[in-house]
Amino acid sequence: MTKKYETEAPGYTMTTVMEEAARCLLCHDAPCSAACPAHTDPAKFIRSVRFRNVKGAAETIRENNALGAICARVCPTEKYCELACSRSGIDVPIDIGGIQRYVTDFEQAADMHILHKGDSNGMHIAIIGSGPAGLQSATTLLEKGYSVDIYEKNAKAGGYLTYGIPEYRLPSNIVDYEIKRITDMGANIHFNTVIGQDITMDQLKADNDAVIVAIGASEAKILPIFENNDAVETAVSFLARTKEAKGNIELPKDALVIGGGDVAMDVVTTLKNLGVEHVTDAAYEQFDEFRASKKELAGAEREGVTIIDGYIPESVDGHTVTLKHRHINSKMTIEADAIILAIGQETNAKNLGIRLEHGEAPSAGYKTRDPKVFITGDIAQGDKTVVYAVQKGKEVADEIDSILGGNRHD
Amino acid sequence: MINKDLSIDFLGVHFENPFCLSSSPVGNCYEMCAKAFDEGWGGIVFKTIGPEDFEIDEVSPRFDELTKEGTPFVAFKNMEQIAEHPLKQNLADLKKLKENYPDKVVIASIMGPTEEDWEELARLVTEAGADMIEMNLSCPQMTSHAMGSDVGSNPPLVEKYCKAVKRGSDLPMMAKMTPNITDMVPAAKAAMAGGADGIATINTVKSIANVDLEKKTALPIVNGKSSISGLSGKAVKPIALRFIQQLRVASGLEQLPISGIGGIETWEDAVEFILMGSTTLQVTTSVMQYGYRIVEDMKNGLMHYMEEQGVEHLSELVGLANKNIVPAEDLDRNYKMYPEIDWDKCIGCGRCFISCYDGAHQAISWDEKTRRPSIDTSKCVGCHLCALVCPVHAIHPGKIVMKEGREGDPSKIDVVSQRLN
Repeated sequence: MTKKYETEAPGYTMTTVMEEAARCLLCHDAPCSAACPAHTDPAKFIRSVRFRNVKGAAETIRENNALGAICARVCPTEKYCELACSRSGIDVPIDIGGIQRYVTDFEQAADMHILHKGDSNGMHIAIIGSGPAGLQSATTLLEKGYSVDIYEKNAKAGGYLTYGIPEYRLPSNIVDYEIKRITDMGANIHFNTVIGQDITMDQLKADNDAVIVAIGASEAKILPIFENNDAVETAVSFLARTKEAKGNIELPKDALVIGGGDVAMDVVTTLKNLGVEHVTDAAYEQFDEFRASKKELAGAEREGVTIIDGYIPESVDGHTVTLKHRHINSKMTIEADAIILAIGQETNAKNLGIRLEHGEAPSAGYKTRDPKVFITGDIAQGDKTVVYAVQKGKEVADEIDSILGGNRHD
Repeated sequence: MINKDLSIDFLGVHFENPFCLSSSPVGNCYEMCAKAFDEGWGGIVFKTIGPEDFEIDEVSPRFDELTKEGTPFVAFKNMEQIAEHPLKQNLADLKKLKENYPDKVVIASIMGPTEEDWEELARLVTEAGADMIEMNLSCPQMTSHAMGSDVGSNPPLVEKYCKAVKRGSDLPMMAKMTPNITDMVPAAKAAMAGGADGIATINTVKSIANVDLEKKTALPIVNGKSSISGLSGKAVKPIALRFIQQLRVASGLEQLPISGIGGIETWEDAVEFILMGSTTLQVTTSVMQYGYRIVEDMKNGLMHYMEEQGVEHLSELVGLANKNIVPAEDLDRNYKMYPEIDWDKCIGCGRCFISCYDGAHQAISWDEKTRRPSIDTSKCVGCHLCALVCPVHAIHPGKIVMKEGREGDPSKIDVVSQRLN
C-alpha cells in the first residue's frame, strides 16, 4: 500500500503544459506576479513557456526562488497567484503551480545550474535551521558573496519539507535536489547540531558576522486532555516517522485526526493512501472558514475521509473522544484505534537569547535587540507558508547585506 | 435533425453533396473510398494515377506539422507522391467503386510526363467508368520534373496536356492548379484553352515547415536530409481563397467552374469556399487528422446555414462574395470607426493596451488601479487591433465618424461581422 503514498501525481508534458500556457491571457502588469509573496513572477515564466523558452522560464523561477520546485508543489497558489489570475474572469485560473512544476522538472532533467556563488566578500553568516527560510536566506547570501554555515538539529536538512509534507505531495528526491543546489553553491550544513546545547549562541556570534535564527515551529502542540494517552500521537511525529519509513509503518485499524489545516489533511490523506479504511477528521473550523487549502481538502475528500467540521474535543477516555460543536447543541463520541493531533506547532527557542511572544517576534521585521542576531521564517511576523518563508529568507539576507555590505574584509 | 438537399451539379455531373476527398493519401484504394462514401462524402478524387512505368518510391517518414501553442496541424507538410499501387489495380478500384456506388461521383486524378501518357491515362480511366477527370498539374514533390507543379506553372505545357487528355476522353475534366505561382490566371486560361471544363485549386504550397535545430535540416528528416514539399491545412485557406477570388473575377474567366481546395475542415470553411465561387469542395488534411467522419458536421452545418439564409439550392450561394471583394483602391476611406468596450465583459487583462501601444497608435491608456483600459479617440485610427487581441471579445465596433472634410452618412456604413466568437 505504500506505492500510493510514494507516488506523486503525473505532471504536464510539453504538449499539455503548452495547452495550459495557451489559456494564459498574458496580462499587462499581471496580477499573478504581483500576488506572489516570493516574487516568483509567474507572468514572466508562463510567457516564456508560451514562447517555448523553457530554459528562460527556469531562470525566472530559480533566480527568484531557491525552492522553486518545492513551491511548485506545495504553495497554496489558490490564495496567491491563482487567486489574482485574470483568467478567472472567463472560467478557472491558470494552473500556475502545475506549470511551475513542469519548468522546474525540466530544469532538473536538463541539469541546469542557474544560481552561482558571488565573489567572496570575506564575511561569514551562521543560520540556525535548514527549513525553507534558512535555505532561501543561505542562497541569497551565497549569491552576494557571503560564506554560509547552516546548523540543523536533525540528521537531514529541509525541516518540515523533509520531515512533514508527505511523499505523494512532495517527493524527498525533489527536496534533496533543491538542497543539493544550495550546498553545491557552497552552503555548509552541520547536521545533528543544536545551538544552545552543542554550540553556544555566544560562540556562534563570535565566529560569524551575523547569525540568522530560522528555527520555525517544529514542536507539536498537545491539548492537556490528550496528554499521557497511548492512543494519541502528534501529526509532527506521525508524518515524520511515516516519511522516514517510506510509508512502511504499522497501521491503525481506524483513526481520528483532530485539526483542519493542511497538516491535518496531510495526515488523513496519508492514512487513507496507506490503506486505513476509516479515517475521520474533526476540525475546529466549519467548512466556510476552513484553513486547509482547497486542493488538500479536495484530496482528502476524494480519498473518502469523513470530515466533521465545527467540532472541538471535549473529553477523552482512552480511545474514545467526545466532541462538541462550537455553535449548535450537538455532541458526538468517536472511538478510534489511533488519535492524531494536528492542532498546530510551536517554537522551541531555548538558549538562543531571542524574545518571542506566541512563537513570533514581538515586532515586525528581522532585527532583534542584538545587532548581530536576526530572525526569519515562521518566527518572523507574517504568513507561515513555504512561499512566505522564501520571501522572508530573501528579505533577511537583503537586510543583513545592507547593514554589513560596507564592511568587506577583503 | 435538419435535412436539406445539398446536391449540386458541377461540369454536368450531379453530386449529392459538394464534399469530396481530394486526390491524396485519403483516397488511395477501394476500401478507403468506399468507407468515405459510406460516411457521407458526395465524391472522391481517387489518388493520382500515373503511367505504368513510373515507379513510386516513397520516403519514411514523410509528414510534418506546423503547430502553434497547443494547436496541432495548423498546417501539414507532406512528401507523398502519387498512387503507389499498380495502374491495373487502380483502374480496377475505380471500376468497382462506380459499380458499387453508382450515385456517388468517382473522379480520376491523372498525371503523366508526356502527351501520350496523359492521353492514354485519360482513355483508361474513362474505360474504368470514372465520372470525371482531374489533371494533376500541381504536385510539388514529384521525383520527376516532367510532372507536377513545374508543369502547372508553365501555361503552354498546361494547354498541351489538357488537349492530350481531351483527345483521350470526352469526360468532363478539371485542371488542378498550383499556388506556387504569382498569378494563377494565365495557367487557368491555358487549361481552359486546352479544353478543360473547370479548375480545381489549390494544390499544396511549397514549404519548409520546421527546421530541426540539432540536425540542421528540415522536418521530416529522411536519413539526415529533407526536401521542400507541399503544405496544406488551415494555414493555407487564406491563400486558396485569394487564388479562387482572383480566378473568378479575371477577365475572360467569369463564372469559371471551380472545385475549391485548401484547409477546409468546418462547414464555415466550406461556405467560405462556396461564396468565393467554388461549386464542389475537396478535403484531405482534416480527414488525415480526424477521419472521414468530419463530413457529418460539414454537411449538417451547411444545411443550417442554408436554412438561416433561406436558400433552397446550394448553387444559389456559389460566388456570392466575389462582387464584394474589390481592389484596395475602391474601398470606402471616408470614415473611421472607434472601438467600444463592453465593461460587463472586460476582465482587465490589458492585452488591448499592450497591442495598441506596441502595434498600433498608442490610443489606449491603462488605469493601474482599476485595471481597465480607456480609448483616446484623438489618437485612435479605428484599426481595431484591440478587438482582435481581446480574449473575451469585449471590444466591439463603436461610433462611426466621417473623416474631416468627407461626405457621408455614418449610420449607413456597414462594418459589423456576424461571425461567432
